[in-house]
Amino acid sequence: MTITLEKPINPVKPPKPWAKRNKSTVISNAIAVIFPILVLAALFFTTEIPGPVLVVVVFFPLQLLTAGVTSFMDKGKRGIGDAVLSVGCVTAFGLVVALLGSVVLSVIARGFPAIRFSFLTQNNIYISPTTDLTYGGIGHALLGTLLVVLIATLIAVPLGIASAIYITDIKGRAAGFVRFMVQAMSGVPSIVAGLFIFAAIILTDVVGFSAIAGGLAYAILMLPTVARTAEEVLRLVPKEVRDAAVALGSSRARVTMRIVLPTAKTGLITAVVLGVARIIGETAPLLLTTSNANNTNLNPFSDPVSTIPVYIFQYLGSGYQTSIQRAWGAALVLLIVVAILFGLTRYLSRNKRGNV
Amino acid sequence: MDATRIASTTNVDIEATGVRVPNTPQDAHPRNPEDANVHLETKDVHIWFGQRLIIEKVNLSFPENSVTALIGPSGCGKSTFIRTLNRMHEFIPGAALAGQILYDGKDIYDAHVDPVDIRVQIGMVFQKPNPFPSMSIKENVLSGLHLAQIKYENPDEIVRNCLERASLWTEVKDRLNASASSLSGGQQQRLCIARALAVNPKVLLMDEPCSALDPGSTRRIEGTIKELSQEMTIVIVTHNMAQAQRVSDYTAFFLAEEGAPAQVVESGRTDEIFMRPKDPRTNDYVNGLFG
Amino acid sequence: MSSSTLEVPGNTPTPRYFGREKSRTKSDKLFSGSIIVAALSSLFVLTAILIYLGSNSWPVLVEQGISFVTGSEWSTTDGVEVFQIWPMLYGTLLNAIIGLVIAVPVSVFLALFIVFLAPRNLSKVLTVVIDILAAIPSGIIGLWGFLVFTDTAAGWGQLLNQYLGWIPLFANDQNQFARSPFIAGWVLAIMIIPIITVVSREVLAQTPQELLDAARGLGGSLSGSIRMVALPHARGGIVGGVMLGLGRALGETIAIYFVLNLIFDVNIYKILNPEGGAIASMIVAKFGEATPNEINALLGAGLILFIMTLFVNLAANYIVKRSQREKLI
Ligand SMILES: Nc1ncnc2c1ncn2[C@@H]1O[C@H](COP(=O)(O)OP(=O)(O)OP(=O)(O)O)[C@@H](O)[C@H]1O
Ligand SMILES: [Mg+2]
Repeated sequence: MTITLEKPINPVKPPKPWAKRNKSTVISNAIAVIFPILVLAALFFTTEIPGPVLVVVVFFPLQLLTAGVTSFMDKGKRGIGDAVLSVGCVTAFGLVVALLGSVVLSVIARGFPAIRFSFLTQNNIYISPTTDLTYGGIGHALLGTLLVVLIATLIAVPLGIASAIYITDIKGRAAGFVRFMVQAMSGVPSIVAGLFIFAAIILTDVVGFSAIAGGLAYAILMLPTVARTAEEVLRLVPKEVRDAAVALGSSRARVTMRIVLPTAKTGLITAVVLGVARIIGETAPLLLTTSNANNTNLNPFSDPVSTIPVYIFQYLGSGYQTSIQRAWGAALVLLIVVAILFGLTRYLSRNKRGNV
Repeated sequence: MDATRIASTTNVDIEATGVRVPNTPQDAHPRNPEDANVHLETKDVHIWFGQRLIIEKVNLSFPENSVTALIGPSGCGKSTFIRTLNRMHEFIPGAALAGQILYDGKDIYDAHVDPVDIRVQIGMVFQKPNPFPSMSIKENVLSGLHLAQIKYENPDEIVRNCLERASLWTEVKDRLNASASSLSGGQQQRLCIARALAVNPKVLLMDEPCSALDPGSTRRIEGTIKELSQEMTIVIVTHNMAQAQRVSDYTAFFLAEEGAPAQVVESGRTDEIFMRPKDPRTNDYVNGLFG
Repeated sequence: MSSSTLEVPGNTPTPRYFGREKSRTKSDKLFSGSIIVAALSSLFVLTAILIYLGSNSWPVLVEQGISFVTGSEWSTTDGVEVFQIWPMLYGTLLNAIIGLVIAVPVSVFLALFIVFLAPRNLSKVLTVVIDILAAIPSGIIGLWGFLVFTDTAAGWGQLLNQYLGWIPLFANDQNQFARSPFIAGWVLAIMIIPIITVVSREVLAQTPQELLDAARGLGGSLSGSIRMVALPHARGGIVGGVMLGLGRALGETIAIYFVLNLIFDVNIYKILNPEGGAIASMIVAKFGEATPNEINALLGAGLILFIMTLFVNLAANYIVKRSQREKLI
């Protein structure tokens, strides 16, 4: 018997005969891709018909038709369905990539000129919509967002994780009901969360427009995200881990706090990050709860406070060139924060997969 | 290593065999007289998953209108091999293949061949019964015709004919519109056979068709296989030595030495393989000494 | 009963059943108790929302009567305050429907692309792209919609009107194409495509391999196998995903606020006209300068939006879960 090496020195590339393309298939695919584009280009440069009309009226039907006809010639009747499927899929793909690309690129391209050190650190006092970009910035709004998100996190994370513990760990009588309620809560529109906090604590004069009110509204939106993700994560803790701890004579509280939660730590952090990402860009609830301010306000219990989303809202509304630049700049900062949070969740969940 | 070819069974007098003649399938699906010589042959077939060679140099031929059993220990690659025979192998990511599989003398992996045509002509029945759960019994039988976009007339006749050939007709004739998932496991498997028959394949591949079934259902399916072999070539993977002896005309024994890819150790007429195996390993295996 | 079987008098041991283990120590009790209270916070919040919005808006709702939802006037001038939200209510639905008409086919094709067609690496990348799209804050979508997309989409609207204006749906009697329900629908579509795609992708990926094998083995093409096996299998999940998207579309506030003219005159079908409505955006628009009574009317509008989205969302979850349960059996 020959000795098989763990890793062959010259790794062969095993052949895949089905990857070979039949010449007629290659030609028909090429025609299906190139012909409609050529027609589109020809019409675009020679006629006055506007681009979108060409795409919708000429290119798209022509693409469907060519793809259908060529694959019919190549594969017979059953080729047609596949052609429709591919054209549909590629169109959807192209549309989504174009839209997303447009959003991201416009924010980067238009936001970048506004970004400078002073923009990130200064506040908005004595700044009017026409003030030059070298003065004033979003420093106060960054701090305000941080404050509001921190308050929301402090409230929503314990409640969300407790809900998840109740559903997965305690498996209480009302577990199904709690899950149902969490689901129902995840559908609360952000404006309703804002209205509710406004009615419950601002109208009743408990506090005025303030960071705490904004934090409470955000917490309503954050709680279901945290609870649902935490539930999924806690479910992954192996039963053996719990059993082992119980068999050692630990009390239930100890098992949960010392064994289950630490085991699921990375997952729970992911839940928190996802929760923060869910709320950080929400504008509507803050308009009704924190209102807006030009100064830096670090007192959570009184006086309006500025936040990034509301800053964008404010400057977008006033319509001057510089103010719109400020809005784009703030949007870019917000997008970067969201991207960091997003990257963090992916990094954390990759680690988690590595461990288990 | 080639299986010995014996006289083709096409000329056997069907009346004389005493087998119940199926309800003249010729009427519903006229067969092309040119198909008389159809048969399937593999030449130096090697199969990989990723970089791992699973099967090495298999040369087998499957004579027309015969039953060939593929036997061998679990994990040696029988399912993998049988899936290459109708180009189902290529759906698995990382799958690769070398060698030729000749059907009617032409390589089915040739770039000019439409794999869909191959799968229509070389049908497959899987280990686990897999009728389409959202369809009725009748729709299941006809589903292959819809999927392969084959025009047909007389759906009722086709349904009846296929179900009869799969020995399921009498059990379901009163509830053709019931959901397929209301059938028992054995009935579902026969429904899958009927479904495969509806597109009128010339070859039928069966991967452990009885592994999930009770002895009664197994018997019925074996009977079905026997009957079908009058009109088509059948390749069947089985772990059941008695079954291989009961249903097959030829047998090929696959074996993978530890750490090495599987090969066909021995192949030939079933009685030879079981009574007078040439290779000691075949002898050990068919007599249940390992595997 | 008396005669044969159960005659082992006295000797049958009584079975003991084990319920959930009771908390014994004080700290355990405290722990369980606080977890339960915390777990019920969702219930408290949902009830509190109903109570606060309901009680504050009650006087206004009673005063306005049924015309609060059927009438089309909102005015605080003239001494008499009239609060009627029908155009906003209808507009909310209209925007959402336009959004769904665009988003559903795109999402389903995209999910099919990810699961069945795209090369492995591309489908991984696409999954991430969809997640990113889902994470973009609505404020940013609103900003982009207002400053970038409106121009483009207004151009599309104009062309639609120019060539298909004879269809009443594409009529436009204002000769202005920005800030129309058509554009609002597109913006909503961008926000709900990720939701529908994610759910559809998950259910499609769960199509049992053996059914796909069966379909391919019978000579089905890819599209045929998808139509006959994968789509029937995933239908429930996709419908649920669409409902989740609908819930999101109904509640969207800021993005719509920037791309739609809110007009208190119901626009039934002329989707290219710069007139539309959306309850959530209307609340933001009116909130700043609202009279005390008007605030209460806005709370009432919020209440109606809340009930509507709650209903849609629960139905969505029910549909998704039911289709998953069917798959398990
Ligand atoms: N999708 C796959 N990717 C990688 N390796 C695979 C894959 N499917 C099967 N294998 C490997 O190929 C080998 C042959 O598998 P196969 O299923 O063909 O065996 P088998 O002979 O049919 O076994 P059994 O009798 O148990 O059904 C096994 O070692 C298996 O681990
Ligand atoms: Mg197998």
